[in-house]
Amino acid sequence: MKKNSILLYMALAVTLILAACGGSEEGNEAEAEGASGEKQTVTFWHAMGGQAQTALDDIVAGYNESQDEVEVVAEYQGSYDEALTMFNSVAGTDSAPTMMQVFEIGTQTMIDGGQITPIQEFIDADDYDMSNLEENITTYYSQDDMFYSMPFNSSTPVMYYNKDAFEEAGLDAEAPPETYEAVEEVSRAITESNPDMKGFSLQAYGWLWEQLLANQGGHLLNNENGRESAATEIGWTDEQGLSILQWVENMVNDGTFANYGTNGDNMAAGFLAGDVAMYMQSSASVREVVDNADFEVGVAFIPHPEGTKREGVVIGGASLWMMNGAPEEEQQAAWEFMKYLQQPEVQAEWHVNTGYFAINPAAYEEEVAVQAHEETPQLQVTIDQLQSTTPSNATQGALGNFLPEGRQVVESGLESVYNGEDIEAAHETIVENYNQVIEQSNAAQGN
Amino acid sequence: MQSSSSELKNVFLKQKKKTRRQNFFKGIMFLLPSIILFSLFLFYPMIKTFYLSFFLTDMAGTPTVFVGLDNYIQLYTSDIFRKSFISTFLFVLYIVPSSIIIALFLAVLANEKLKGVGLFRTMYSSTMGISVAAGSIFWMYLFNPSMGLLNEALGVIGIDSIGWLTDPDWALIAISLTTIWMNIGFTFLILLGGLQSIDQSLYENANIEGAGYFRKLFQITVPMLSPTLFFVLVVTIINAFQTFGQIDILTKGGPQYETNLIVYSIYREAFVNRQFGPASAQAVVLFVIILIMTAIQFKFAERKVHYQ
Repeated sequence: MKKNSILLYMALAVTLILAACGGSEEGNEAEAEGASGEKQTVTFWHAMGGQAQTALDDIVAGYNESQDEVEVVAEYQGSYDEALTMFNSVAGTDSAPTMMQVFEIGTQTMIDGGQITPIQEFIDADDYDMSNLEENITTYYSQDDMFYSMPFNSSTPVMYYNKDAFEEAGLDAEAPPETYEAVEEVSRAITESNPDMKGFSLQAYGWLWEQLLANQGGHLLNNENGRESAATEIGWTDEQGLSILQWVENMVNDGTFANYGTNGDNMAAGFLAGDVAMYMQSSASVREVVDNADFEVGVAFIPHPEGTKREGVVIGGASLWMMNGAPEEEQQAAWEFMKYLQQPEVQAEWHVNTGYFAINPAAYEEEVAVQAHEETPQLQVTIDQLQSTTPSNATQGALGNFLPEGRQVVESGLESVYNGEDIEAAHETIVENYNQVIEQSNAAQGN
Repeated sequence: MQSSSSELKNVFLKQKKKTRRQNFFKGIMFLLPSIILFSLFLFYPMIKTFYLSFFLTDMAGTPTVFVGLDNYIQLYTSDIFRKSFISTFLFVLYIVPSSIIIALFLAVLANEKLKGVGLFRTMYSSTMGISVAAGSIFWMYLFNPSMGLLNEALGVIGIDSIGWLTDPDWALIAISLTTIWMNIGFTFLILLGGLQSIDQSLYENANIEGAGYFRKLFQITVPMLSPTLFFVLVVTIINAFQTFGQIDILTKGGPQYETNLIVYSIYREAFVNRQFGPASAQAVVLFVIILIMTAIQFKFAERKVHYQ
């Protein structure tokens, strides 16, 4: 009798464990129902750190106060890469957000992932007019006449430079260098006048490589940057790829190049500390850099090799994606918030507090924007650079779900040149490894 | 008579069989919770990893194309993976002996009966209370190229700045320094515990014999400490193979894959690049390496261990 009761207890224990595993779902459903009684909660994952996070939090707080139906909870999930990694591991579960900000090269990944509802459905249902948004941006984010995601924050890379250092070196601070050759020359002059300051720094960042290619009309991928049909290999010519590496190598040999590896924060800190006079980074940090520098900061277009025409830049930044796992009311609430973010007042505030351009050009007419442009003319540069861009498949940007992995290949190649590797060999490694990434990705899709 | 005896035997055998079956069933019932947990969290993922390593997968990790041993062949021919492999072993070589020697040195010092030694014991073991993330951030500032304390100090004695995290010759060393610093607290504490449990009468005897300090250190302390040292060795090696946080925070595997240790490489392949097939193949390779390493340790190192 006693033995049997032990067995009984054991069986009970096992059942309990199994029940505990199965029971969690019911609990969550109950929770969700409880929440819908009051305000509709929308979880919004983003990748905005630093000053941009403060600006975004202000906007979210402003929205939550402006009405009493929806409560948006903005959660910072680390860098774009980290946020996407995070999302991929919770996609399809209850922990997934209602909406999420994903960087431009994650576009194809999100579409292929099948966890999203295309924004087009809400646009159609609502008869929402997307034509008041900046044309360059709407062409970037629409495919086959369809919007998969809502554009939100867009920026272009710009070249920041230290005007005081230019003047000390006897250079014209109002005429920043436009070509690779000119950048090299200016760098030499600066390091000569101040041996403690390097001339130029290029972060080992795949995005900048893509921009430097586009600016000279190069394609990242073949088949028209993967827009005509799926890319099968890289699309730039040896000449285009080597021009960038040669430029870097020249500066490394001149001793005017500052190597911060892949770390953009250290590079910006080095610029602010007066260790380096010029660097390239997203215009999104114009406000932060101008505010924090104790010298005059200049902002210029990114350079191109002598003898090529300046084609312009690819739109960087991110868009907002709607997740299909959320119930309909929750999606509807998120859609309301997305529309709010497009309004000129909100976009103007966002533009002047960060350096992202306003995706709704009407924002530039807003008082706050006009005033900010007078006080901080540097904010204007990114708008000019975008509007003077020649529309083409090069400046439309590449499509492919392997782009984040491809960036790692490029970054490693750039770093090897910073550390003295022969540029021909480095270029060959980049091309070879990038092609392998594309090949493997295509193979996994059964192509 | 004969038939009744065999009948009895039959009944007896049947009864015995029944008891045995019952015992077996009871045993299984006792084992069941751990069998379930192990299967769920250990055996199933392990088998799945082996399975996935023969496939390519889509973004969600669903196997799409069977490629046989291709993933393994690609690893074998890949320069990047070879670098990961070499870096991992170099890393283990850098950190395991130094962590143990430094911690042993500190433990021997802190084992002396002096006034205020408690303060030093607390200090030496304090890194144990610091999380990997916090420790890495702390070191990130020390390594910072513009305002890092290490480069400032080098500048004072007239040495050029070092690109700690950007120079491929230094990055692995920088990560090793960070890891050794993090390891010391735990290793120190365990070794100090080992030292304190050594029987004092051994030292008294040695004193009577007139043995010197170093004689006592090498002939009493170290042999008596050997079980603790062995434990620390095994744990430090396994920790070294599993290092992840400081790499993710400080270098992300760069520059030029120099600090792309196997565990980090697996993480990046699987969860950043969404290539679960090749990542699983790497995981299998790592599993085999650790299995061999542990077997070697138990076969050779354990013989030298003196258990009381």
